[in-house]
Amino acid sequence: MLLFITRRLLFALMLLLAVSLFTYLLFSILPADPAALTCGKNCKPEIIAANRVRLGYDKPILEQYWNFLKGIFVGRDYGTGAAAFSCPAPSLGYSFSQHECVTTLIARTFPVTAYLSIGALIMWMSLGVGLGSIAALKKGKWQDKAATTFSAIGVSLPTFYIGLLVLFSFCIWLRILPFPKYESPFVNPGAFFTTMILPWSTLAVLSAASYTRLTRNGMLEAMNEDFVRLGIAKGLQRRTILRKYVLRSALVPIVTIAGLDFAALLGGAIITESVFSLPGMGRMSIRAVVESDLPVLVGTTMVAAVFIVLANVIVDILYGVLDPRVRAK
Amino acid sequence: MTKRRIIGAVSFALVASVLAAACGGGSDSSGGDGTPKKGGTIRILTSGEQIAHLDPQRNYTGTDLAFAGSTMHRSLTSYKYEAGDAGSEIAGDLATDTGTASNEGKTWAFTLRDGITFEDGSAITCADVSYGVSRSFATDVITDGPTYAISYIDVEDYPGPYKATAEQQTAYDKAVVCDGNTITFNLKNPVADFNYTTTMLTFSPVPKAKDNGEGYDMNPVSSGPYKIESYEVGKALTLVRNENWNAESDDLRKAYADSIVYEFGLEEATMDERMIADAGDDQFAVSEGIQPENLQTIFEGDEAVKARAIDYYDPFVSYTNLNNETLSCYEVRKAIYLALDREALRKASGGPYTGDFADGFVKPALALDYAKATLPEGLNEDGSANVEAAQAAADEAKTKCPDVAARAASGLNFYYPDTPIWQKALAIWQDNLGAIGFKIKPEAVEPSQYWPTVMNPETEYDIARGGWAPDWANASTVIPELFTTGGGFNLTRNSKDADYAEFESLVNAARTNLDRTAQGKQWQELNQYVVDRLWALPGTFLKAQSIWGSKVGNTFQWGPFGAFCFGNLYVK
Repeated sequence: MLLFITRRLLFALMLLLAVSLFTYLLFSILPADPAALTCGKNCKPEIIAANRVRLGYDKPILEQYWNFLKGIFVGRDYGTGAAAFSCPAPSLGYSFSQHECVTTLIARTFPVTAYLSIGALIMWMSLGVGLGSIAALKKGKWQDKAATTFSAIGVSLPTFYIGLLVLFSFCIWLRILPFPKYESPFVNPGAFFTTMILPWSTLAVLSAASYTRLTRNGMLEAMNEDFVRLGIAKGLQRRTILRKYVLRSALVPIVTIAGLDFAALLGGAIITESVFSLPGMGRMSIRAVVESDLPVLVGTTMVAAVFIVLANVIVDILYGVLDPRVRAK
Repeated sequence: MTKRRIIGAVSFALVASVLAAACGGGSDSSGGDGTPKKGGTIRILTSGEQIAHLDPQRNYTGTDLAFAGSTMHRSLTSYKYEAGDAGSEIAGDLATDTGTASNEGKTWAFTLRDGITFEDGSAITCADVSYGVSRSFATDVITDGPTYAISYIDVEDYPGPYKATAEQQTAYDKAVVCDGNTITFNLKNPVADFNYTTTMLTFSPVPKAKDNGEGYDMNPVSSGPYKIESYEVGKALTLVRNENWNAESDDLRKAYADSIVYEFGLEEATMDERMIADAGDDQFAVSEGIQPENLQTIFEGDEAVKARAIDYYDPFVSYTNLNNETLSCYEVRKAIYLALDREALRKASGGPYTGDFADGFVKPALALDYAKATLPEGLNEDGSANVEAAQAAADEAKTKCPDVAARAASGLNFYYPDTPIWQKALAIWQDNLGAIGFKIKPEAVEPSQYWPTVMNPETEYDIARGGWAPDWANASTVIPELFTTGGGFNLTRNSKDADYAEFESLVNAARTNLDRTAQGKQWQELNQYVVDRLWALPGTFLKAQSIWGSKVGNTFQWGPFGAFCFGNLYVK
């Protein structure tokens, strides 16, 4: 198992390096001129030229990438003389439109996205696996039909629609909840909860819909397996069979997908964060796209890639825990 | 305690905290009539992620100037904090008056008031103002800000205070002289309205010891009635009272509210709904901008909501630049203008709430400089195309200037930003010009690259969209900027026009006229001069709409900025 984990982590590291190089090169060939973007209404060619040198965009692209990579380990300095400043390691660059080091921006926005993702994950797994299990056990009955209908509706509705609907319903028409205004759970837990309950629910409804279907189908498939029939024949309790054999078997693909979905959310639930005015990584990324803020774009892409790669590693490890056959290999 | 009781207690606490949070909030001021009173918290709602720049020397957009100038940053002079035309008049701010010109406008002196302080209580000195102005020369660090100090002040090759050698700094100090409380600016050329230039926050003081260059944008030192308590991009900026602001030294700012909270990153659709609903904290809020789909609801629906909204001219004018080198024939330019269905173009960009048809390039808000211009004969007042008159002009062009007419018939390079609105506008342009035998060759430009593209002298456009707002309440920042070779935004390429030399000398005369009223008349005539020649085609005097909560007072739109006078809003 240890060798397995070590191999996966090494592979993940190589993958991240490749992603970083590809990302950096890709953004560098975009038509937007990052030096010109630091200049406003009275931009003159000589100002752009001076900024290009100051920000290091005049150097060859591979040298720029090397400086970017080096910055992750040793930090990075900008400017000269009295106006010099630096971004300490791990530096992912500096955003000239938000006037902060990219690492600082990510450190501030990531917890918001993380809280959103974790809460949504708990809700959608509980709801999706729960409804799916009921649907499987009550196959053909009204509970199954209700779960299937919920699943069909949930996957059909776009995020922004559900988000705006719940926002308007609870905050404007019914006035049950105040408008979302994010506060850290350590500063104001009440405000945190009242802010997050709607975006959690929005994401949960969307994702639970597909997880309901996955769980239902997975359990139905498992219930037809020989090992289940053997368990029944041996006189095991129904509850034991369902918990230890059926659900566990059905959970294997669900864990994979949940891991990847969660990792993708950690990169930023853009629409949900925008609708509910959450200052998370997703919203920051959208702003970076609109403003062609290349350092932020590269930084958030890298962070998102880290989560996807890590998620794959963790999922692979969890596979080994759930499925003894993988451990044996 | 049993497991069940623990769960019960936790659940109760959770629900209680939810209810407390849901019912809590709201400002602590009492309600009342329209009399301004101290106290409470004003909220400003925006979908933007942050103030573009709080660094005074980098601050350049109308709303941001209105916000920062009325709360945190005093300048040598300022506009009066009044509604209507009076709001475009200037008064002394840090200075005792609006300055004294000498040397035919090449030298301007301002005397600083007594009792002016930064937020830490230290006195604001002439050196602080001089240092602030010098920062704007460091264009590699102090980006995005106005560069009028660089253009006007009589110093060459000064790179700003971060990199200046001793000799360079000495040269700057000779151009901007401090003598006790008096700061004197020596200019390269006469500037009759330099005391309008000094309303810009470029002329705000900065304490050298607290200047951290690029980072100053996040924590500037206040010289106004409010200071930063917290600033989180994407979340909120909170200003609280600056206890060291001396109200007696400030005739302009009233600072009624105890605090001002700028809330960022709000979803636009919900902002309008919140303001219409006018509940809770939103009663103490203002919102800049209304979504087009909600304009009718707000302005043509409930009277109570309508009373809390305003439809007003913002500082911007939209127009169309014509390349007067390739379109050197007046009849062709006239034919294009008469052929346009301006009403259709206005509909495409949002309808009548977008603005009114312009009669020139100087907006009515510049009260001294505006007079209704006479437009070309045949132009329909309702904005519809006059195809017959346009065709007549096009036919006349075939005789008077056959080369230009042929160019128009074969295809005019039409540069536009590639947005959904402009794609609709392009179709209208193609249709309208096609009706008189002219063709369009569309050149879509990625929006963020549009201005760098058309401002590049190598770009071969015939027609290019334009838009401008004056940098201060004087047409000296409109006519010269847009139509002279020294202007920063002249896209008409009109320098080879037979009348250009005369025009330029008239402009120079107006710029150096220290009699403001007489100068205003000159700008009116120069506006007509441009319209008579159609070097550019007048488009729309743009409008904007805003809405505020029922418990906010002083919600007039401040003419020079097209924004609220944020610092003087009060809680009713």
